[in-house]
Amino acid sequence: MTHTDMDPGTLANVQFRQVGKPLTRTDAPGKVTGRTPYAGDYVMPNMLHMRVLRADIASARLVRLDVSKARALTGVACVLTADDLADRTAATDIPGQTGQKRLDTDQPILVRDRVRYFGEPLALIAAETRDIADHAAELIEFELEPIPGVYDTLEALKPGAPLVYGRDNIVAERKIRKGDVEAGFARADLIVENTYRTPFQEHAFLEPEVGLAWVDENDVVNIRVSTQVIEHFRPIADALGVPHNKVRVRGALVGGGFGGKEDLTVEVYLALLAKQTGRPVRLEYSREDSFVGHGKRHPFILTYRTGVTKEGKITALDVNMIADAGAYVFLSPYVILYALVAAPGPYRVDNLNVFAKAVATNNMYTSAFRGFGALQACAAYEQQMDEIANTLSIDRLKLRRRNFLKTGEPMSTGFVPPSAIWTEQCAEKAWAGLGEPTASDGPIRTGRGLACYQQSYGRLTFLHDTSEAWVGVEMDGTVVVRSGVTDIGAGQISALGQIAVEVLGVTLDNVVIYNSDSAVTPLAGTTTATRALYMTGNAAKQAAEGLRARLAERAAQEFGVTPDEIDMAFNEVFVIDRPEKTMPLVDLVRTCAAEGIHRSELAIFRAPFGDFLDPETGQGQAHPDYAYGAHAVEVSVDVETGEVEVLKSVAAHDVGQCINPAAVEGQIQGGAQNGQGYALSEEMLYEEGRLVTPSFSEYLMPTAMDMPNVECIILESRSGVGPFGAKGIGEPAMTAVAPAIANAVADAIGVRVFEMPITPERVVTALQQRDAS
Amino acid sequence: MYAPFELDIPTTLDGALAALANGGGETVLPIAGGTNLIVDIRAKRERPDRMVGLGEVDELLGMEFGPERISIGGRTTVSDLLRSPEIAHEAPSLIEAARLFGGLMVRNTGTVAGNIASGSPAADLVPPLLTLDAELTLASASATRTLALDDYYLGYKQDARRPDELITRISWPRLPENSANTFYKLARRKGDAITVTGVAVTLSVADGTCSRARIALASVAPVVRRVKEAEAVLEGQALTPALIDEAAEAAASTCTPIDDIRASAGYRRHTVEALTRRLVTQAWDRLA
Ligand SMILES: Cc1cc2nc3c(=O)[nH]c(=O)nc-3n(C[C@H](O)[C@H](O)[C@H](O)COP(=O)(O)OP(=O)(O)OC[C@H]3O[C@@H](n4cnc5c(N)ncnc54)[C@H](O)[C@@H]3O)c2cc1C
Repeated sequence: MTHTDMDPGTLANVQFRQVGKPLTRTDAPGKVTGRTPYAGDYVMPNMLHMRVLRADIASARLVRLDVSKARALTGVACVLTADDLADRTAATDIPGQTGQKRLDTDQPILVRDRVRYFGEPLALIAAETRDIADHAAELIEFELEPIPGVYDTLEALKPGAPLVYGRDNIVAERKIRKGDVEAGFARADLIVENTYRTPFQEHAFLEPEVGLAWVDENDVVNIRVSTQVIEHFRPIADALGVPHNKVRVRGALVGGGFGGKEDLTVEVYLALLAKQTGRPVRLEYSREDSFVGHGKRHPFILTYRTGVTKEGKITALDVNMIADAGAYVFLSPYVILYALVAAPGPYRVDNLNVFAKAVATNNMYTSAFRGFGALQACAAYEQQMDEIANTLSIDRLKLRRRNFLKTGEPMSTGFVPPSAIWTEQCAEKAWAGLGEPTASDGPIRTGRGLACYQQSYGRLTFLHDTSEAWVGVEMDGTVVVRSGVTDIGAGQISALGQIAVEVLGVTLDNVVIYNSDSAVTPLAGTTTATRALYMTGNAAKQAAEGLRARLAERAAQEFGVTPDEIDMAFNEVFVIDRPEKTMPLVDLVRTCAAEGIHRSELAIFRAPFGDFLDPETGQGQAHPDYAYGAHAVEVSVDVETGEVEVLKSVAAHDVGQCINPAAVEGQIQGGAQNGQGYALSEEMLYEEGRLVTPSFSEYLMPTAMDMPNVECIILESRSGVGPFGAKGIGEPAMTAVAPAIANAVADAIGVRVFEMPITPERVVTALQQRDAS
Repeated sequence: MYAPFELDIPTTLDGALAALANGGGETVLPIAGGTNLIVDIRAKRERPDRMVGLGEVDELLGMEFGPERISIGGRTTVSDLLRSPEIAHEAPSLIEAARLFGGLMVRNTGTVAGNIASGSPAADLVPPLLTLDAELTLASASATRTLALDDYYLGYKQDARRPDELITRISWPRLPENSANTFYKLARRKGDAITVTGVAVTLSVADGTCSRARIALASVAPVVRRVKEAEAVLEGQALTPALIDEAAEAAASTCTPIDDIRASAGYRRHTVEALTRRLVTQAWDRLA
């Protein structure tokens, strides 16, 4: 269920024909009828099948690796080990399409002598069939000599702890020093201090990692792969030792990403074996491979110390965050930067100290996941707000209202977000959306929780992010859009189409979008960081507007008016308010073609370019802009068994401007589910780094039976820096869900479970501890 | 991924039993829905040389509702149970277990006999059937016998079934007047999850006293089992909160749960006590 609220002040003079309507997405018919090929559907003649052999303990020395029996097996084309790869490494840093300096984060492609995490790849096998590849894997003999590892961040920080790599286990540190925290605490009537813990999380996309690679007649390594980032062609080429223009990544529609296909997954393995064998090779991860084959969400330990006045005004905040980076760097330095910036949440805190640290362990490496550190911060700051409200006996919404950051005010980094800040409107609507309270009944206690958030959209400004799109109009008036953007299921490409046809005055069924080919479509950057609509949407809009200007100029000449009197809608070109002066778009386009007027446009959109935040104070501009909103839930808790049921789930987000409300609602529904699993049931358990929840029978995402109806309230401030004032909703949809649930559980039972997931057992333990004290 | 195996697909019960009888030193396993067995083969926990598919043996289907007893074929699926109004009336606990069983695809293929024969301590249909005093018909090519379900499990993944036997039918007596029959599945989520604690209770009341009490527990011992110590506390008594507490405590103290990734032994014991108390109280309040 969705309703849309608009600020009356922003409505004037805006009339959309295509944008803002819940149109059938361009990718929908193919998916619904099963005609859409995903990366795993591509096969080639003479193709080989791959398999990755992985280490089965987390911290060890590889003392022996004997692949001779596997190589001798009939049907095995190739077995690669680290010995065959010289000292080849692959970068695990953020893909830089902008030439910015990267961190030094390279990881060996295959284990040479040291295993640092459970599942680290030892060998790559290519064979005529999958069964033969599996058999070959069984024939590989290896011996791992265990080395003491470290599996807990606090242990890893102790002197004398086993080193994962490097000189110490500190991967990155960041800080904010703003105002005068000591003075702020001195002014406080009350200081509230709590520590919150958040868990690992698995992306659990429907489509595990899969790809097909082949070397073409120009010696270009082609890789058809399920990815969020086709611009990995550069690190792939670097890993292979070939020029960048000799690797071409072609995406496909992706069966879910959530950050889990942001890093390299199968690409380098495929490329190496395609080059080595000269034959097409295909690699498809099983679900179990996928669980150990990509990084997880960082678990955090977050300590919040907040000073408040009796009236509930925050006077000072001191935050300490420790994130488990796992065994390799990947995106950890950036994840803690997001957490740092998000630390106070959507609240005005002038006296602020934040310290964030990413710590290496021999757990699975951690990297991007929807929310990217800012979500973990929200899990803590919103629980902390409820703890403060309870201690002060102030209404929870009222406490938040006293502290909300308002439009035009500086956030944690001193930066003033350029858009409207509608947290308060969202919070009120979400809270009211819960309706009448459900009564408690015996051991079944009900409770309510609210959480508000601030989440960036667009990448870090020091990355100097850009995105390109091409828009052209064919001679029959149909439209073509080309852009490298990958569509990971959220409707990214359909949104580009909707934007282009809005500007060009045609209908959505008249557009075809070509995307996700690193050699042929204009490079658009990554589909990550809630940036695709913001960046590529702006690029597509610019391209369409450039083209429209030329068409309008020619039409104005035809009608004897000025170009600003021309409008284009529903495949017609006409003079505004003069219905008799009209012609079909196709006639105008033919005229343009005959006269050699350029019927296409390539545009580049540049996000604001910035510098690193000040290393001492953390002040500066981290992101282009921020999205704000709120989530409210009602739960029931069985105080005897500890079971939690989410009864109502209401989201209210200011998305700036909906391009397609149906797609926005899809993101919100998905975010509600993703956050609910994170709060309650999803658990990646590691024992000495070994994953003991390696499949969907142990790793429990909410099913349809666990989900309530999710109510979506969409607000449109039209103030965002995306196309038509859009913000972003991909990540924001999830951010506030888990703390809202945690707050509702605490409200229901009168005691807080400080660690997620809030399992039935943790609820029972918290109640028992309270009763004992 | 799968080790090779032979597959027989007999169309008669005799054919199936004959196929099972002629093992000749090979590992021969019956396969019904395959929702346990295929998972086990993929994980290399089972390596049958040959399997005997039961999918075409219609003699293993069918429900009979006699005046005294109810009998269902071993190949009855979980969805078949859910579609039967008679079962809903006669064995509400079985319906509750079936309702929360796996997902739709698993319910459509997983069978009652497969659930029993899998020997899982978490098998959801078994606690309800134990509290209904269910009896199994075990047939081999040479003989047919009946065995109380209560006597079927010998230890963790060990049962009284000989390798050449099939569970052909499951039957139980109709409940006496004034009976309650309930099941509670406690799991880490609502849909498609392995039971953390399962409690089934059947209570009959006559002349103001509890004439018959059955309590069976899943996932808190190497096998699904009745807790007769708790039943004995209740039978023949007019129930009071104190008696019910005593029974709940008896259930908790006689079960032997372990710690696993889903829950600790302590939590399981705690919930056995709470749920036994809850289900018995609800049943008694409704009947007395
Ligand atoms: C996703 C998923 C969810 C599940 N959820 C649940 C759940 O919620 N609750 C639950 O209890 N179980 C669950 N299971 C386990 C399984 O589905 C059930 O145990 C089911 O009842 C097994 O029946 P089947 O016919 O598929 O057995 P099969 O896999 O065919 O066989 C299981 C065992 O029984 C033997 N067998 C089968 N039929 C007979 C017979 N007639 N006589 C003698 N032996 C026989 C087989 O040889 C084998 O050893 C789940 C499984 C999956 C994959």
